[in-house]
Amino acid sequence: MKVAAILLDTGRELLYRKTIIVYFGVVTLVLLFFVLALQTDVANGVIASLTVAGLEGSASQGGFRLGDGAEGPGMGGLTAEMFVRYVQLGMAFFLYPLAILMSVFATASLVPRMLEKGTIDLMLSKPITRPALFLSRYAGGALTAALNLLYLTLGLAVILAWKTGVWNGGFVLSGLVMSFFFACLLAFTVLAGVLLRSTTVSIMITAVLFVASLLVRLPHSNRDWPLLITSRASRFLAQAVVETLYYALPRSYELVQSTVALIRHEGSVEWGAIFGSAASGALALALAVVYFSRKDY
Amino acid sequence: MVALAGLDLRVPAGQTFGLLGPNGAGKTTLVKLLLAIAFPTSGRAKVLDRPPGNVRAKARIGYLPENHRYPPHLTGEQVLHHFGRLSGLAREERSRRVTTLLRRVRMEEWSGVRVHKYSKGMMQRLGMAQAILNEPELLILDEPTDGVDPIGRREIRDLLLEQRERGATIFLNSHLLSEVERLCDRVAILKDGVLRREGRVEDLTRPKSAFQIEVRSASPGVLEAVAARVPGLTVAENPGPGGLPGGAGPGATSFRGTWLELSGDVPALNGAIDALRRQGVEIASIQPRRDSLEDVFVRVLEEGEPQ
Repeated sequence: MKVAAILLDTGRELLYRKTIIVYFGVVTLVLLFFVLALQTDVANGVIASLTVAGLEGSASQGGFRLGDGAEGPGMGGLTAEMFVRYVQLGMAFFLYPLAILMSVFATASLVPRMLEKGTIDLMLSKPITRPALFLSRYAGGALTAALNLLYLTLGLAVILAWKTGVWNGGFVLSGLVMSFFFACLLAFTVLAGVLLRSTTVSIMITAVLFVASLLVRLPHSNRDWPLLITSRASRFLAQAVVETLYYALPRSYELVQSTVALIRHEGSVEWGAIFGSAASGALALALAVVYFSRKDY
Repeated sequence: MVALAGLDLRVPAGQTFGLLGPNGAGKTTLVKLLLAIAFPTSGRAKVLDRPPGNVRAKARIGYLPENHRYPPHLTGEQVLHHFGRLSGLAREERSRRVTTLLRRVRMEEWSGVRVHKYSKGMMQRLGMAQAILNEPELLILDEPTDGVDPIGRREIRDLLLEQRERGATIFLNSHLLSEVERLCDRVAILKDGVLRREGRVEDLTRPKSAFQIEVRSASPGVLEAVAARVPGLTVAENPGPGGLPGGAGPGATSFRGTWLELSGDVPALNGAIDALRRQGVEIASIQPRRDSLEDVFVRVLEEGEPQ
């Protein structure tokens, strides 16, 4: 009941902060757009005709296009399955970053606000252990973000299944992968929050770590680049930094690739990236819990 | 910097205990140590026979921190339900207590309003309700009447008296010495993290050897003459820092007779009585000179009296 109380309160707080509401509103508009504007005629698994908001669809090189400039009538044998994957990839491209961004903005304040004088005293006086309190707060943030992503993926998957008759479970799974990715990222956000007690700095650090986790993959996968550094000590140091960052941070690049693979049904998730990200997130979270449990407030 | 040093303190169950001290004396630090909000560098403490921070013990504690903040997105009623859940109260019991307490602290009309719209006094009243929601055996209050108007202070005092009658141990941290004096059985005075004085309020304010003598039917000249002969006897020009017995405070003008003050023991008192009676002075009352808690507090802080 105590953990549920904190989860409930965390959800309420996030809704009160409006950021999640904005994201929820954007996703709802997108879903409504697909419900109201998308008209398809599917015959034998092939899109016979397609209209989006009154614009007729037509086949195009590598996909389809809407309105003027159509290369020819009909959908060129575009299968409903391919169409659904195209749409879902497009939505994932635009809405996943938005979801992650909004979730980071919304949840970055969870720990700094809890640590404010007058709030933390009261929370710590209640019959709940410090680790349980902290982890419940973290879980509340991760859960709220996951529900939002689930709303997007499940909603769009159901609407497209209704319109085309094609159910792409991979898209829903890709939402779960993104939720997992956000949970790993949130571990670093709460670590920054508990150490520095600043929402703004937490957001900045999370953004920097996210970018770093994407960029570091390039030198990690390219084994020859250290040869560009002539000094042996510098080369060793640079390699050490790259490898440390790669293994200490969530594997953003590989996880994004996994979502694409899931949506397109081309291969499966990279389990190494999943376990590596889980380990880095768990380590960050463990450090945050240990610090929180020993700190005087 | 040492916040608390060499502190040895025991608060018996069922008592109302006041913790006094100037700003920075270590009062809040002590409270935080008892609740495991902060940790000692050395030493140990027990709260309800368990170490600080013990979850089972915490379930039996109510706490109102100084300058407490509640989640601004919650209404008053939601705040009580939230902290009731955290205290492990079952749903039905929690609902019953929340309704009763909102009425008791006169907040039922504001129960559906978000707390960020509350005044300081309303926050304190809600805070009191939150602190006693789990019917705690130990109630720890840090400046409970801070920012509360006189009527609100009286209501909080009544609430605390109810808790005391219920059998709760109350640990009160307050700057309002008059309230502490009225409510508390025992007090401790901290200064610079060191315990300077501790004991029953009655004992701390009791005179060591001083009396106040109320006389009638005596001319000032006679009294001055007697005072000149009896060592330690003076005619009181004003009631003194502790005020006069019977409730009159400093600067009071409604006392019935003239007051003499005697610094001395019981034989000295008898000598003064004899001298006054020999001059035909009518003695209306004799009372031991009692200091107010404020007198004791100020003296301890200024003089740095050892315990």
